[in-house]
Amino acid sequence: MNEPNAPATFQLPEQMSTVSGDIDWLYYFIYWLSVVLFVAIVTTMIYWAIKYRERKGHKAEPTGHNLTLEIAWTIAPLFILAFLFHKGFQGYMDLAVAPANSIEIRVNAKQWSWEFVYPNGGSSSELHVPAHKPVKLIMGSGDVLHSFYVPALRVKRDVVPGMFTSVWFEATHVGHDDIACAEYCGGRSTGPSGELPYEPSDDPRNPYPPGQATGHWAMHAMLFVETDDDYEKFLKSVGDKCEEFASTGKLCPAEIAAAQGQRLYGNKGCLACHTTTGAPGIGPSWKGIWGKEESTNVGMVKVDENYVRESILDPQAKIVTGFGPVMPTFRGQVSNLELDELMAYIKSLK
Amino acid sequence: MAAIDMPIAGGHASDAHGDPDAMYLDAKKGIASWMLTLDHKRIGLMYLTMISLAFLAGGTFALLLRIELFSRGKTIVDAETYNRFFTLHGAIMVFLFIIPSVPGALGNFFLPIMVGAKDVAFPRLNLLSFYLYLCGATLALCSIVMGSIDTGWTFYTPYSVQTTNSVISMTMGVFVLGFSSILTGLNFLVTVHTMRAPGITWTRLPLFVWGMYATALMQILATPVLAITLLLLCAERFFGIGIFDPKLGGDPVLFQHFFWFYSHPAVYIMIVPGMAIVSELIATFSRRAIFGQFAIAMSSIALALLGFLVWGHHMFTAGMSEFSTMLFSALTMLVAIPSGVKVFNWTATLYRGSIVWASPMLYALAFIFLFAIGGLTGLFLGTLSVDVHLTDTYFVVAHFHYVMMGGTVIGFLGGLLYWWPKMTGKMHDEVKAKIGFVFVFVGFNVTFMSQFIMGSRGMPRRYYDYLPQYEPFHRASTIGSWILGIGLFLTAYTLLEALWKGKKAPRNPWGSAGYEWMTDTPPCLVNFHETPIITRGPYDYHLATPEELATGWDEVEAAAPPAKKSDRPHSK
Repeated sequence: MNEPNAPATFQLPEQMSTVSGDIDWLYYFIYWLSVVLFVAIVTTMIYWAIKYRERKGHKAEPTGHNLTLEIAWTIAPLFILAFLFHKGFQGYMDLAVAPANSIEIRVNAKQWSWEFVYPNGGSSSELHVPAHKPVKLIMGSGDVLHSFYVPALRVKRDVVPGMFTSVWFEATHVGHDDIACAEYCGGRSTGPSGELPYEPSDDPRNPYPPGQATGHWAMHAMLFVETDDDYEKFLKSVGDKCEEFASTGKLCPAEIAAAQGQRLYGNKGCLACHTTTGAPGIGPSWKGIWGKEESTNVGMVKVDENYVRESILDPQAKIVTGFGPVMPTFRGQVSNLELDELMAYIKSLK
Repeated sequence: MAAIDMPIAGGHASDAHGDPDAMYLDAKKGIASWMLTLDHKRIGLMYLTMISLAFLAGGTFALLLRIELFSRGKTIVDAETYNRFFTLHGAIMVFLFIIPSVPGALGNFFLPIMVGAKDVAFPRLNLLSFYLYLCGATLALCSIVMGSIDTGWTFYTPYSVQTTNSVISMTMGVFVLGFSSILTGLNFLVTVHTMRAPGITWTRLPLFVWGMYATALMQILATPVLAITLLLLCAERFFGIGIFDPKLGGDPVLFQHFFWFYSHPAVYIMIVPGMAIVSELIATFSRRAIFGQFAIAMSSIALALLGFLVWGHHMFTAGMSEFSTMLFSALTMLVAIPSGVKVFNWTATLYRGSIVWASPMLYALAFIFLFAIGGLTGLFLGTLSVDVHLTDTYFVVAHFHYVMMGGTVIGFLGGLLYWWPKMTGKMHDEVKAKIGFVFVFVGFNVTFMSQFIMGSRGMPRRYYDYLPQYEPFHRASTIGSWILGIGLFLTAYTLLEALWKGKKAPRNPWGSAGYEWMTDTPPCLVNFHETPIITRGPYDYHLATPEELATGWDEVEAAAPPAKKSDRPHSK
């Protein structure tokens, strides 16, 4: 954490992710473009308003026409706009497509806290990630809308109940920043009708006092970008219980989830149609299906959290080519936790 | 209903509402003459009263919010109250003030006069729309009594399905307000199509009327979608039908699509009338036609149409597909074209004009200044990758305040000062109006410029409390809000003072060539004693006769000591 931070400018916070350089370049491009246009318009306006002010002996000339001028200022902006659109969309696609080797961290947002679940099954309320490695957050909400926002990473994504959204980033150096919720999610004052004094705290890791008023603004968490060693240490401290479990002959938490999913695979009757051996059944086999591009009746679909979730809750939405629309819905029969466990199981079937 | 072929005498007004040639405020007296009036001018004044009260209420909430944010932690109210305040500020300002402001008050009063008609096409519907507005406003305010709504003015699901029941009365209020808006729009469309005086061709139609026409189109086409959305929201709460609530298999993002399908056109329902007023002000106070008048009119229509195609830009981080975001970003960029055309044309109008630095013109020039900032910051937000960083921060708050307040409200204040003498017959004090303007302009920029900076630095919206690094910006913003508040109170005082202390206003105090200045000040009940026959455009200063352009100040001064002889002919 001793590495110097890439400096913040007056308008933008420090840069901490691989994408922030491009985004800031575009920000400042639009900024200077706007400054030039604004100064040109306003100085022209003020100059003419003074030069042609009403006075004795001065009379307005009737307005003429200048079609060339009018066409010019209608068409010329189109080129700038096309450029902005192009650069903006390019940057957006960089933000949208996570590298395949990303570390996947599960994010649970709820009123009013964040929970980060690491690949080893451990969890924490602060997000720790290694520097120079792509990290993909798979986010879900159990209650209302939230939005995951880290200013220094220049990433933001709504967390929507009933679906998974994801965001990815690669931190460029060791450091820390604040994680904020950017989508309004309510709030309340605790205690007898909020009579408790609400005093902000000076602790940067915990700027909003716990146990008093809480809400949207208080969904604050820290992001720590660490060296690989520190990250490994952190993982051990929060939840790398695999070794501990192994010594007692038990499974580690990620495997527990998969084992739980395997149990559900039997209990919920999935095995009637889906094999885990690769042999086709009434439905596609689960073996090796995770992450694959499947052809369906609505086009190519990547088998990821959202697709699997949808296929369990609304099986007719996208049907893999070669299979019939025969699966019943499991809506109301599997909980969010059970969905996670089923997915952990499918992921484990490499 | 008013006769569409506009006979010179007769019609509804003369029978039930007094002498058609009497000044509209004198034609009939008593409470009933207001409550049951079919006169578009009186209805306009009643709207003006109600939206002014709404603006006062919404503004009070804004000032309270800013005081709360002056310091970290609790300053004056607790978190729940803060959440209610920003919800009420937004909902009142959007639904009770800005949307009905220009069409309901100034549009109702001046649109019929500017097309040379005696009234709108459906005067009874017009009165009904006012009463619907009152009903809707009452329902909306009930939500304050019922424990107060805390969802934000956007009512995003699933929070709005889970929180207090006052959501119902607020959404039903907005539902009813929507009908008021639709009826006003319908009335304006029919009036413009069927009741123009002889000689007012489409190319001679004043730009204010063009703006109202574009607004009316959007009101009629978009508002029903909001009504459907709000009904679905209520059904969701009462019956749990599972449209928006993911627990019932619904889709919360669908609500955002529905909501913005109305509320984005609503942004243009708010700004296009402001632009329409500014076009009038710049023409009058430059003493020449707007440069590219046809382009200005068509750009209003273009904004109205594009407004329907860009709602998704509110949702770039909400979980739409990349394909949708691409389309919405590209379409959003196109909005810059008609907006830019307007700004360029207004500025070009000043060239070789004769610029009068009257208080309404100051507001018009301020509009260009502020709308340029509001529009250019829209480029940041339309550019996808930059929007990801900026969306849902104070940058967005500042951006839409520059457009909504720096645009519509500044235009509205300019229009109010401009038409105040015509509406009331009294002239306000120009010095006070200009001092008020300086406070409004400075206060506004201090308030919202600091919000741009804290937003781009990462301060999210709708926060009761914030991290220490944002405190200086919040303090500057709060101090700005006080300056702005002083300016607005001073302006309100200036206008009200004119009612009892103001000089009598002549027929055409600003020396405009516009049609509305051809009639009495204030107008008679039927607007024109005889149906005007128009032979020139509303901005053809070079074709207008000296009588038409005469301000009439000489007569006013001649009538009052110290007497000053005038050799000009009577201007009527």
